[in-house]
Amino acid sequence: MNVDLELVQRVQAGDKKAFDVLILKYQQRIVHVITGFVHDPVEALDVAQEAFIKAYRAIPNFRGDSAFYTWLYRIAINTSKNHLTSRARRPPAVDVDAMDATNYHDAAELKEFETPESSLISDELKQTIHQAIQDLPEDTATAIKLRELEGMSYEEIAQVMECPIGTVRSRIFRARDAIDKQIQATMGEGE
Amino acid sequence: MTVNQNELLSALVDGELQRSELDDVLLLLDTNEQARRQLQRYQRASDVLHDHNLHHHQIDLSDRISVALQDEAAFTATTVTDTSAQIIAFPTQFWKQAASLAVAASIGALAVVGVMNQPQNQLVANHQVAIVDMDARPKLAVKTSERWTVEEQEVEERLNSYLVDHNEYAGASGVFSYARVVSYDMGQ
Repeated sequence: MNVDLELVQRVQAGDKKAFDVLILKYQQRIVHVITGFVHDPVEALDVAQEAFIKAYRAIPNFRGDSAFYTWLYRIAINTSKNHLTSRARRPPAVDVDAMDATNYHDAAELKEFETPESSLISDELKQTIHQAIQDLPEDTATAIKLRELEGMSYEEIAQVMECPIGTVRSRIFRARDAIDKQIQATMGEGE
Repeated sequence: MTVNQNELLSALVDGELQRSELDDVLLLLDTNEQARRQLQRYQRASDVLHDHNLHHHQIDLSDRISVALQDEAAFTATTVTDTSAQIIAFPTQFWKQAASLAVAASIGALAVVGVMNQPQNQLVANHQVAIVDMDARPKLAVKTSERWTVEEQEVEERLNSYLVDHNEYAGASGVFSYARVVSYDMGQ
């Protein structure tokens, strides 16, 4: 089952809570993309909110021709550009294709917007996560790496690791739980 | 939060939920604030691994967006159906027209090929030619005949000579036989 598409169809059928889940899933990535255009973090959050509202209003037109995130990404980019235009600023000269959405963070334009402090914390977060993965039992580490770094589906991982899909799901969950606990312990974050 | 609930949230991050589980997750996230925070932490760790997470702070826009969308009417099946109908209207019409055009072209091609294969003398000899006087004038008689009949002998002879000349000329110059037939019909 395509979970995103199922959530979209539920929104189209009138279930606003399903859209809430889509926000929870994609808000970080959308804010990240928008930050590439709108430097002010507070403004970026406002633009992200506007982009999600536009997406909600346009969702009856979503037919599933592309992945939901690609569609949402385009709305975010357009909203950012419109925001910059309305602020009489020049939008970035470099246009970003939706297919490059996942790699846009690599663009040099974005790097200059990172402050040394935020960059340091991001690096620390990354190191914590990678360290947590290294500390995992081998099968659990392999499962989360195949999922997160190789982008494999549960079914593909099950074939590679020669185990049931349920076991894959359980291993990935255990890995995530361990990573989460490590982040909380190291970065002082928690509930 | 139970282990099973957290495992559901982890599967949601990966988009690997079963349809029956989605209802449980939606209910859980709607009623349990801790589950929402847990989902966001799992999602953020995933985003960091994919280098999607530039912000080191946890962001939560869902509350403010929900407030902003409070006054928005929820969509209904009709809304979506209407939109779909508009979207597919063009292709349906297009295929109808294309099918009509294809049928017309096929019939036209069959007619041309059939007439081209018809021996010229058969066209004249086998057909029962009916002449209908549209103006109800006595000059043209309604009559079943192998050839046209005109009351005035002189006119008939002239038409016949035209037809013979035309057939001979058309055959020699490579004009398609259907062109000759058309000329014949036009002559009537």
